[in-house]
Amino acid sequence: MEAVLWYVLTSTRGGANRIRILRAVDERPRNANKLAEQLDLDYKTVRHHLDVLAENDILTDSGDDYGAVYLPTDRVRNYWDTVEQIMESEA
Amino acid sequence: MVGWIDLARAAVGLNVLLLAALIYVWGRNYYSIRSKHTLGLLLFALLLLGENVFALYFYSLNPLLRVWFSTAVPDPAWQAMLALHVFETVAIAVLTWVTWD
Repeated sequence: MEAVLWYVLTSTRGGANRIRILRAVDERPRNANKLAEQLDLDYKTVRHHLDVLAENDILTDSGDDYGAVYLPTDRVRNYWDTVEQIMESEA
Repeated sequence: MVGWIDLARAAVGLNVLLLAALIYVWGRNYYSIRSKHTLGLLLFALLLLGENVFALYFYSLNPLLRVWFSTAVPDPAWQAMLALHVFETVAIAVLTWVTWD
């Protein structure tokens, strides 16, 4: 999981925005629309990042179809130290 | 006629382009995320870029080696060299594909 977090959040083109998304949903679970609005990102960009984060078992959705809110998985909660380490190294 | 050296130049040239894309992504990430992991990837890409820029220089610009590589190297040796370059191209292409995400 640690390697996945480092790769997905710090080594890919969308890494910086994925950190912002993770920070936002950690604060409070949100849906794609709200995330796009609050982070000032394109809706489709947010959807792509959410899919990547879900694929890697970092986020999960509440399952309510259209209004589904995203939140960190239990698995990523167990590795939250790593997430914080990554967030702290952000300039 | 396209010779072995032309194919080698093309493969090495492609490596340079792909590495430039990786350096763009990892350099930008290192600018915003000052982590050891990101720095490591950036240095890795820069060193591999160095290797390929040197190869391109030897194959195309160096006055002595340019001539030697294009006239005096027998085909089987070129085929072996080309295999190394092409494996590298495929490897970097895969890395670029997962990074451009």
